[in-house]
Amino acid sequence: MRRSIVFCLVTTLAVAGCGVGEKPAATPASGGKVELSFLVFETPNLNAAFWDAAIARASAKVPGVTIKKLVTPNVDRTGYAKQLDASGHLPDILQSVNPAGFAEAGKLAAFTDDELTNFIAPKAGAVDGKIYQLPYNTQVIPVVYYNKDAFAKAGITETPKTYKDLLDVSAKLKAKNITPFVVGGGGADTWADMYPLTGTVATDVYAKTPDFLTQRKDGKVKFADADFTKAAQKVADLAKQGYIDPAGLSRSYADTEQAFRDGKGAMYPMGSWFATSADNNKPGFEIGAFPWPSDDGTPVTPTFTGGGTSVSASAPNVDLAKKWALAFDEDKENNDAFVKLDGSIPAIKGYTPPTDMGPVYQATVAIYQQGMKDNSIVNAFSQETGDGSLPPGLADKSALGVQDLITGKKSAGDFASYLDDQWAKATQ
Amino acid sequence: MTEIQHGTRGEVDPAAPRQSPSHGGSRQRGAAIRRRASARIWPKLGRFGLFALPGLVAYVVFVLIPIGMTGYYSFTNRNPFNPPTKWVGLRNYGDLLGDQEFRQALVNTVIIAVIVTVFANVGGLLIAMLLDRPTKLYVALRGIFFTPVVLSAVVISVIWQAVLTDDGLLNSLLRGLGVDHPPGWLSDPDLALYSIAWIITWQMLGFCVVVYLAGLQGVPRELQEAASIDGAGRLARFRNVTWPMLAPALTINTVMLLITGFKAYDQIQVITNGGPGTGTTSTMAFQVVQTAFNGNHIGYSSAMAAVMLVLVATVSVIVLRLLQRREVTQ
Repeated sequence: MRRSIVFCLVTTLAVAGCGVGEKPAATPASGGKVELSFLVFETPNLNAAFWDAAIARASAKVPGVTIKKLVTPNVDRTGYAKQLDASGHLPDILQSVNPAGFAEAGKLAAFTDDELTNFIAPKAGAVDGKIYQLPYNTQVIPVVYYNKDAFAKAGITETPKTYKDLLDVSAKLKAKNITPFVVGGGGADTWADMYPLTGTVATDVYAKTPDFLTQRKDGKVKFADADFTKAAQKVADLAKQGYIDPAGLSRSYADTEQAFRDGKGAMYPMGSWFATSADNNKPGFEIGAFPWPSDDGTPVTPTFTGGGTSVSASAPNVDLAKKWALAFDEDKENNDAFVKLDGSIPAIKGYTPPTDMGPVYQATVAIYQQGMKDNSIVNAFSQETGDGSLPPGLADKSALGVQDLITGKKSAGDFASYLDDQWAKATQ
Repeated sequence: MTEIQHGTRGEVDPAAPRQSPSHGGSRQRGAAIRRRASARIWPKLGRFGLFALPGLVAYVVFVLIPIGMTGYYSFTNRNPFNPPTKWVGLRNYGDLLGDQEFRQALVNTVIIAVIVTVFANVGGLLIAMLLDRPTKLYVALRGIFFTPVVLSAVVISVIWQAVLTDDGLLNSLLRGLGVDHPPGWLSDPDLALYSIAWIITWQMLGFCVVVYLAGLQGVPRELQEAASIDGAGRLARFRNVTWPMLAPALTINTVMLLITGFKAYDQIQVITNGGPGTGTTSTMAFQVVQTAFNGNHIGYSSAMAAVMLVLVATVSVIVLRLLQRREVTQ
């Protein structure tokens, strides 16, 4: 009897002890390989088959590694990575997770300059001068994708060059009972409402003060300052004029994209990743693209460079994990797949995209290349990583605040003050 | 010396001679009873304990220890991305008093809890009374009404999201009926919270139906017949016979619904993410998770969780006591 009690005690404690807090030690997979966990996220563009194929290609280049794929429950991979970290299970390799916070806390391994020689912008997203996330691709955020049929129906022959043009175009569309902008942000995809504001902050704030967030961190500027408030006011006015339909706030990201495809609005301010989705799954109308216009028509091109893989400092074999991460991000076929499925603009030296890319992707890349030529590249607000980025959690708060701007619950001034308050809270 | 007879169930033999009622003797006798009873109980407890052990360990590991850790963290500034963790005493609790977002989340939580408790109780009772018939059709209907209870809240949320979005089933139906501008059930800040409360109510309805059905089936037919003979109408029979007999069912339902309402999280996470806008549908549980895992303020969110625990426990105990008293008096 006593022996059975002892047996039960030991077994129960052993079972209960498993998985509590501590990360399991390096798991040698079959054949002496090291097993590394890899956190990915699935979207309508980047589905399970894409990740499986990309992982297989990288693994073929790095012998001795077996990858265990982990998938986030939604696209908020940074939030999920934090939850995993809190339980002591930070994955060994992470895809497109914002390194802010993780890097400063020593949870990520820095890439050396030698490891970054193949990247066009090797210092993009640096934290204290070190790179914790491979800067493997560039995205233009936002590009304004538009329905050429709707424009034609409203008698619009040219894309807007100035912000006033944009308002005129919106007025003409509305006069024809066409909702000018499709803006989403429902469910867990609140982030999808950010793009009009990302556009106005680029033209009204970052064009003048490119290091605005660094200055905000140093206390030299505030969101409540005139430029940022003006940028917010533009979004509030678009909604007030009925150019943005608040109904979109109940649409998830996928539903928002579908709403544009279904012709529920004429313009869709979205990240450049929409381009290949538009080419691959063509709606019943032609899609064009133009950059978010500034007041006087001076070109401003908000972009984000980064978004690649990061490696946990506590991975069972950090060097091997970094080698695998580099193989994953530098692989030509993987980048081709990112280009074809997610409209990525790879920032890898010597990389050329496939020649058979569709017209929307070509138009998107042309906007980026024009931006490079004009020297008009600025950061994309709320997308930044590294030193000049929002504190953890503030991008989500901004997205919720934008909903208030759109529904009229907050004025531009209130929204700006709200962001200042949230900044203070986040950095306490 | 008085001898205590050892029966199999440990009773004192009534035939045994009584000891004089002196204090010392009584104390000795009591101690002896306790010693012997305890000697008999431990082997039995050992056997039961063997079965209870896995559950007990799981409870300690997954419930008590985390509660203890949460309590401890609530007095620190713990932020895994900004070490070291320091003891800050009651500062987190003090900050909560002036936290507008937390206050809003508290108000939203109370609104959801009240709506869910009232409407699921009333709806559950009405449906239970309709289904309180022995035919196969009604047995099948009971199963259908119970289905949402066994589905996960995430599944329910995805289904209702498809129904309530602006392009969803409900608004398509309303547009089909000629309503040009149907309400934004999830996009209108004035409606979204009530939509969430409705979804939770709908999910819990089946639970209430089953509990009330069990209660209804326990009402003796003779009492109903006696009331009828005394001239009581349908309403009077319900008020004076059925309703008092349903008191235990009301207690169970009310406490369960209150706890469910206070814990509301999944539906908000899936359907609104706390929006539209700042704090519109944010609940205490949602605020705890956001503060911990988006803002990284584990210490502060632990204080929120501690307040939530105390609040839910207090309200539940008060309501439980009040309703149990009603059971007794009736």
